[in-house]
Parts: sequence; structure tokens; C-alpha cells
Amino acid sequence: MESLPDFDLIRPRTLDEAVKARQKFPGNRLLGGGTDLLVNIRRGIGDAPTALIDMTNIAELKTIKADAKKLKIGASVTIQEVADDSTIAHHYPAIAEAAASIAGPTQRAMGTLGGNLCLDTRCIYYNQSDWWRSANGFCLKYQGEKCHIALKSKTCFATYSGDLAPAAMVLGAEVEIIGPNGQRRLTLTDLYSGDGQNYLTLEEGEIITALSIKKEPGLRSGYEKIRTRQSIDYPLAGVAAGLCREGNKITDFHIAVTGTNPKPVLLDGTAHLVGGPLDDEFFNALDKLMSAQIKSMKTTLAPGNYRRKMAGVLARRLTKKLFDNYCQ
Amino acid sequence: MTETTTRVRSIGLHVPMVDGPEKVSGRAKYTADLVPVGALAGRIFRSSCSHAEIISLDTSAALKLPGVMAIVTGADCDTTFGVLPIAATEYPLARVRIRYQGEPVAAVAAVDDATAKKALSLIKLKVRELPAYLTPEAATAKDAIDLHEKRPGNIEREADYELGDVTAGFAKADLVREQTFTTSEVCQAHMEPHAAIAEFDPVRSRLTVHCTTQVPYYVHLMLARCLKMDKSQIRVVKPQLGGGFGARTEALNVELICALLAKKAGGTVRLLISREETFLTSRCRPQSWLRMKIGLTKEGQITAAELETIQRGGAYSGYGIVTILYAGALLYGLYDLPSVKFLGKRILTNTPPSGAMRGHGTVKTRFAFEALLDSMARELDLDPFTVRRANLLKAPTFTKNDLMVNSYGLAECLDWTEKASGWKIKKGKLEKGRGIGMACSHYISGAAKPVNWTGEPHATINLKLDFDGSVVVLTGAAEIGQGSSTILVQCVAEVLGLDLSRIRIVAGDSEVTPKDNGSYSSRVTFMVGNAAVEAARNLKTVLVTAAARELGVKPEDIEVLGEIYRAASQDKGLSYDQVVAAALKDSGTIMVKGTFTTPLEAQGGKAYRGAAVGATMGFSYAAQVVEVSVDEETGQVTVEKVWAAHDCGKALNRLTVEGQIQGSVWMGMGQALSEEVVYHPKSGLPLTASLLDYRVPTIKDSPPIECHIVESNDPNGPFGAKEAGEGSLAAFIPAFTNAIEDAIGIRFTDLPVTPDKIFAAMEKRKRATGKL
Repeated sequence: MESLPDFDLIRPRTLDEAVKARQKFPGNRLLGGGTDLLVNIRRGIGDAPTALIDMTNIAELKTIKADAKKLKIGASVTIQEVADDSTIAHHYPAIAEAAASIAGPTQRAMGTLGGNLCLDTRCIYYNQSDWWRSANGFCLKYQGEKCHIALKSKTCFATYSGDLAPAAMVLGAEVEIIGPNGQRRLTLTDLYSGDGQNYLTLEEGEIITALSIKKEPGLRSGYEKIRTRQSIDYPLAGVAAGLCREGNKITDFHIAVTGTNPKPVLLDGTAHLVGGPLDDEFFNALDKLMSAQIKSMKTTLAPGNYRRKMAGVLARRLTKKLFDNYCQ
Repeated sequence: MTETTTRVRSIGLHVPMVDGPEKVSGRAKYTADLVPVGALAGRIFRSSCSHAEIISLDTSAALKLPGVMAIVTGADCDTTFGVLPIAATEYPLARVRIRYQGEPVAAVAAVDDATAKKALSLIKLKVRELPAYLTPEAATAKDAIDLHEKRPGNIEREADYELGDVTAGFAKADLVREQTFTTSEVCQAHMEPHAAIAEFDPVRSRLTVHCTTQVPYYVHLMLARCLKMDKSQIRVVKPQLGGGFGARTEALNVELICALLAKKAGGTVRLLISREETFLTSRCRPQSWLRMKIGLTKEGQITAAELETIQRGGAYSGYGIVTILYAGALLYGLYDLPSVKFLGKRILTNTPPSGAMRGHGTVKTRFAFEALLDSMARELDLDPFTVRRANLLKAPTFTKNDLMVNSYGLAECLDWTEKASGWKIKKGKLEKGRGIGMACSHYISGAAKPVNWTGEPHATINLKLDFDGSVVVLTGAAEIGQGSSTILVQCVAEVLGLDLSRIRIVAGDSEVTPKDNGSYSSRVTFMVGNAAVEAARNLKTVLVTAAARELGVKPEDIEVLGEIYRAASQDKGLSYDQVVAAALKDSGTIMVKGTFTTPLEAQGGKAYRGAAVGATMGFSYAAQVVEVSVDEETGQVTVEKVWAAHDCGKALNRLTVEGQIQGSVWMGMGQALSEEVVYHPKSGLPLTASLLDYRVPTIKDSPPIECHIVESNDPNGPFGAKEAGEGSLAAFIPAFTNAIEDAIGIRFTDLPVTPDKIFAAMEKRKRATGKL
């Protein structure tokens, strides 16, 4: 790794200052805990920022607000704080479980919710040193023309690996955004483009300020992931599920997957699976949805096929666990 | 000092490391912590192809960059280096040929790191690419061109010998089985990246190098060779070192390039290389293919063994010849083998040179041997413990390849692991998906004949005693985190009966300390420990003589109680300080010496070419039981518990011995579960050159490890001690794969056994049995 390049470090105390700073310093990057961004900068990934705008000094971004009807987590709340919050653990367990499983203790202590939602996509041809990428002729995602995963591809297959996004997606989360043109809200699924290169749909100068979730009574959720080591590693596959049960029937059902595609995938078509028991027919239909929508390419050292299969195993497992342990 | 009337003991206790306080408080100075005033920043320009001829190298633009003080290229050093005199094939900076991705081609010294980095971007290298051979198959294909002139067919070394009659041995067996195994390349992944600081004094033409090495003396020799300097004008210092595990048991290009830069710049250069570069520069355990064949009687007695193995050596020799010879020689030493056939090939390939790693040469052999033995025991319906017990050696003895075995605690290791693990109630009886496996291993206590044979003693210790009453141990033995300094201080303290606080140690500075071959092959405790004991005895003689004279008695009447020297139990005697003062009256500052030399019979035989490799003063022995559970839907394995027994002769320091056993188990676990150095199959670029992609197990993956120390008291070891730092590594791997077979009925022969491989194997079985 290289030393950090020279840049201006801006520490705004209000959102207004932050929005202005984004306009004032072209080529700036937002800094949360830096656990992803600083590593990438030190590897020469992405153009060296002229300024880093540290978002962790803005009080209103550092709070968790929860009541009986909704949850709002500020973008600068640390991942550890999310993992430790008893309300989140009780009412939105998928979020707490995902947070607790992220990287290792030091990354959780520094990393933020906003940073994790915006986690850069990853690929074995991209997360390398400048010497390495140069020797390999660079790649579609940065400085190059060619995708080494699929030579003829015009889009980038780098994988999205954030854990919090899928957990929030199954709970129907939205992100709150502020920018030069004011505030807006976006369904979390719409934050991600599906192209590994420009993987976020944020406009120039925009900032995610919070994640907000309306509490759905009866919705039970969870998160599970597979990785090579039980700490540090990014998920080979991570699955979040949320469901409702009435008697022997599943009445609401959402599945989201990370670590496979260039975006976190909220599985399309799960609404058609509800209304019946959790039988073979249900799981076969779920498998079909998974295999149609979960595409893992060889962006990691572990085989793509294994990651895809594991997403399927986790989806079945987690669904069954939530259904079996369901309490009103 | 506190007055005591009894000798202070330190051997056999739990003794905290003497350099612990500095290390745990962050005050210890490692090479990268040293920042000499005015030091230039060094950077290495590396190749970006696996195999090529250099057409031109243009450094003129870089040299013109303000702040660039020196640039060195292959033209600046026409001398090769290499730890084996017969295989010094590598240049510090490539000349004419580039042989692996990332090979150093040029280096820059500049006023600061940013300037050095910029200078690298101005260097223009033109090459003519040659076909790259990333595997032994490719390198030995018919039309493959040779990487080196004197290695036709890209064969670094071929070993082929038979001891005893293998054909007759297999004929006598009730069961003969053969199995092939593959093991991936694994890296030491030591915490401290490679670093060097070279100071060239242009007035006196003298060179001082501080660097991250396990072998300061070998570095010294290679510096003299490559810089064409007289040895007397060089000083090598090894500061605190963040691990070695074999990665730095030979001089590396880092310290040589740093010194070349310093000499050319006429100043001081600090060269710190990145983690990625450290992966490229570490001498990893080679990727290997093995075919193991064993013959067993129905009682489990081994009648014959045959091993054929091919190692991917990388682009240069390094320790390669020794590695391939170890793979055969250390078939012996653990069990009684009546006949053995060995066919070994070390192949040169366009990958970074591999080398010695903890358990040098024996780990892959042991994996194949113990795994096949386990399968065969199953087939013969014998308990794996029974099979081991049927093949024990009887010490003292010499193996068929002339390896000396004087102490042998394997039987006790087996007994303890069997009992402590609850083997008899667990084996074959655990619930589905859970399994238990066992295996044994051993390792040498120092190579009896060093690679750089000079005829000198194998180890020398100097002790200095002066007016202050402190004893200073001067040693060239490299403290690399393994605790060698602590052990040497303990040895001296024990002989003199003094508290450890009386003893200080200076290790690894060629200006002050006696030459030492370095920290490798687990030689320090045995060899340097023995030299320390002898030196301390010599010092004791000096003190006893002085005390006797002062008390007017005969030396043999003096009783030494550490802080008191007295003539009889009623005598108040003299304090240690009084004795020291009396002794100093004769000679002033006292310097004594102790040495150790391995006897000729320990140095191996001449049964085949290279038979000295494997010869040692004594072997450590280990038995391990591993319990695992396998998630049959995902292939994820949890190592539930490990029981590890290790015969180290005598535990001089129980704390550090336990630490070494745990560390060995854990390192074996990495190789078994997740660690793998991968190069891109086309470009040869390293795909795992970071601690995120090279998957060393985390503490979350680490099982409870129950250690048991067996003390067989080797007659030649210091206080009976033998090896403790490597022998327990190899046993883990086969014990693990044996446990997986017990859990799910599938035998894995390809390391590492990652979850995706387990998953694929289970899917394959389901397809075969029609359940999918």
C-alpha cells in the first residue's frame, strides 16, 4: 500500500456546510470510517481525491431514532452502534445481525452506515495495487477498457458486498438524500444501478443522510452470510429475509442477496410465493427465482458457482428458520 | 539484588520472554522503526511480465528528476546470490532475463518517498516476452525453453534412491495402496513486511545494514559477495523482527538492493517494501504434487514406502535442493521403515522462488503419509493409533538413512492424545457431520551440517562479566519472536543459579556478537543453547576459582548458590558481588566462551547424494487429534478442538513451548483450511498478495488447543531439550483431513480443503448415489 496522497480534509459540522463543501471542492470524496475508501485510495484505486469531507462530525447524522412506527439511522452512525442498539436488535433483527457480521471489530468501530451502503464494488482485477493493475492492462471499472471477467462485456461485473443493504431492503427501507437541489427520498433498491462501475445512482454532490424504515407489524427478519473466515472477510454470499406468517401460511416474503451481483438484489417475484405453506413447492419456486436473478461471476477467488449455490442454501435456511421460529 | 541462600531456577518454568515488555508496549524497535537522519527513500521497479528478455532499460529521465540520488539496475551487480553455494543463480536486480512477475529490475534512492515513486514511473523497460511456465508441467514440456543455462529441462534437482528392497517390502505386505496428493503454495505471512536500512560511509568505504532477517551472517556473506566488499568492512544488525517462519532464512534481494543503492548514493537508504512485495519476496512453501505408496501387514506394520513428488520451485533455486531432499529424507525418523524409495523433482518455473517454511520439506510428505496410513487403517479395520504403535522406533538408533535418534517420546504423545481426546468413545461414533482424526509428525533440532560448511563450531556464545556484576550474553542467534534470547538467558542463569535480572543479552550485531548461522531448522535452542551452557559453566569455573582462593579452600569444595558462594553449609561464604570483585582482580573484565559442534555421527550418512539433509542431533515428536464438524449444506468446517502432544525433550520454558505448539497447530490449520498463494493462470500476477486475499485464519476460526508437553530428555540437548517450534505443524493437516473423512466419509487429498471443495465433493457424491 502507498501512503495517502495530499488532500484537504474538511470536517463540516452541519449538513449545509457539507453540501457546500461538496460543491466547493471538485473531485472530493465523502469520508465515513474510511475502512473501504482509505484502503482503496492507498492502493491507487479511483482518482486521488482533492478533498475528503469527513461526515462523522455532523451531530444530526449520528443518531438512531426509533419509535413504534419507524426507524431512522443517521448515515454517520457506526456499524458497531447499529449492532449494539437494542431497539434495532429487537424490532429489525436483520439490520442488527448484518451489522454484527461485518468485517472485524476494528472496521465495525470505525465504519459507518452510510459508508457501508456505499461500499465500492469489488473484483480480483480491481482491488489490486497500481503495479498489478498496470501489468494487467487495467480494467473496465477503472482506467481500462476491458472487463477481464467477461472479455466482451460492456458493463462491469464487480461485486457488491455490503451487508446492511440487503438487510434493509427486505424491510422496505428508504434512504434520505440531500444535495444541491434539496432533499429527496429514494427506495433503497433504487440506490443501486446494477453496473459494477457506476454502482450508485446518486447525483453529483448528493449525500446520503439516513436510512429510514417503516415498521411492518408482523414482519420478522434475519441475515446470514457465508465467508471463508469467520471474521474480516467480505461475504461470499449474504442473504437477508423478511416474512410474515399466519397459521401454516407464509403471508409476506422478501429476500435480498449480497456478495454475488454488482448490486444487492431484492429478489423479484417473491410476492407470488406467498399464501401457502412452506413446502417443497415453495422452496422450488424460490430456487427458481434465485437462479434466475443471482448471478455470481468469477470476481473472487472462491468459485462463482459456489457463491450462487450458497445464496440458495442460505435463502432456504433463513426462510425456514424465520418461519419456524415465528411468533406473533 | 535480593540475597538468597538457594540457587534460582529458571529452566522448566513458565518464564515470560525477556524482550516482552518492549514488545507489548510498542517500544521495541523493528527495522522500519529506525529512521536515520538524512536517510534516502528506496523503491524497487519491478517487472510486469513473467518471462522475458530485457531489450533496454532507460533510467535517464528518472535520474534527471530533482531529488533522485541514485538508481541501480542489473548493470550494477554482476554477481549472483543464493544460500546454497551450488545454486546461487539469482541476481539482486534482473540482468538480461526476467523470470517472474514482480522481479526487481531497477531501484531508486531519492530524497523522499514521493520522489522515488515518481522516478519509478519514468523508468522505461523494453522487453521481448518469452513463454511463461507457471506450472511444472508447462516448464518440463518438450518444447519449453530453459529458464537457466545450467538447468536443462528446467529441472533444478532430481533425487532418486532406494534404501532396502521396496519391491520385496510391498510383496510382503497384506495391503498396498497408492494415492496422489496436491498441496498449494503457502506463504509464511509473517507480520512484519521486509525492510532494510543500509548506511554506506563513503569516507571509510564501510557498510552497515539493518534488516529483517533470520540469518544475519548469511546476509553478511551475500552483501560482501554482491557488493564486492571485504567482509571486514561490513556490519549487519538484526533489530527486533516480526516473525520469520522461514521466509527470511536466506539473504533476500531487499537487503542487497538497499545496500547497492546506499553504496551508489554514498549515503543511507531506507527500503521498506509493501505487503504485496513481501508476498512476492517471501520464500513460500512450494506447491507440490505427491504420489505416496505404502505397504502394510494386517497388523499394521509398515513393510515399504514409496514417494514420488514434484515441487514447483519458482524462478530461482533458493533452498530448493534442500527442500526436495528433505521431502525424502524425513520420510524417516518418525516410524521404523524397512524400505523406502524416493523420487523427487524440483522444477524451475516462472513464479517467485519458493523456499524454506516452518517444517521445511516435511509437511507435504507427512500429509500424504499420514493420510494414506489413515485410509489403509480403515481398510484393514485397525485403529489409527494401533497402526502408529506397530511402527515405533526404539531409541537410541540410527534410521536406515543414517539419521540419529537418541530420544523418542512418540509413544507418550500417542497415549496422551488418545486419552485426553476421548478417542475410544468418539472414533466412528460421533453424530453425522462430526468427526475425529489423528496424525503424527516430527522435526529436526537443527540441521547437523550447515549449508555453508566452514568446519567451525556450529554455535558460539560469548559471556561478558564486568564490575557491575551483570552477565552479558553475546550471541549472533537471531531473536525473531520465537524466544531464542529468552532461552539463552535462561540457560546461562540456570547454570550460574542467578536470577534472570542479572543477565542481559545482545543478539545479532556482527560488530559485537559472535557469528551464528541463524534462526532456522529449529537449531538455536539445541545448538546455541548448548554453547550457552558451556559458556556459563566456563564462567562458573572462573568464579569458583576466585571464591576458593578468597576463602582459602579447594575449588571443588565451593558450593554455588547463585548469589552466594560458600565452602560448606555452615560457612556464610561470599556474596556473588564479592566473588565477582575477586575474579576481576585477576583479569579485569571477564570474557568467556562456549561452543557447540555436532559430532560426526549426527551429520548423516552417504547412502545417496544429499544424504546429509535431514541429519540432526535429535527429533521432536508430535501426535495430534483434531475434532471437526462439517456443515453438510455449505461445506463449511469448524475445527472444534485440537489435542496436541509434543515431545521437546525438556521444556526449558513451558510458556514459550506451549506458545510454539499452539502456533504450529494454528499455522498447519491455515494450510489445511484456507491458505493458498494463487497466481493468475495467464499473467502470472499474484492474486493473493494481501492479508485479505491470503486467508490466514482469524482468532474466530481458531479452536481451543489443549497442549501436552512430553519430556524424553535427549542425552545431548541442553538440559535434555530438543525442538519445539516446528514439529507440531505437520500433524495437524492430515489429522484434519482424517477427521473430515470420519465426519462425512470423503477423503480430501488437495490442500487447502476449502468449503467450496467440500461442497463440490458432496454434490458429486449425491449425483453418484442418485440423490441429486
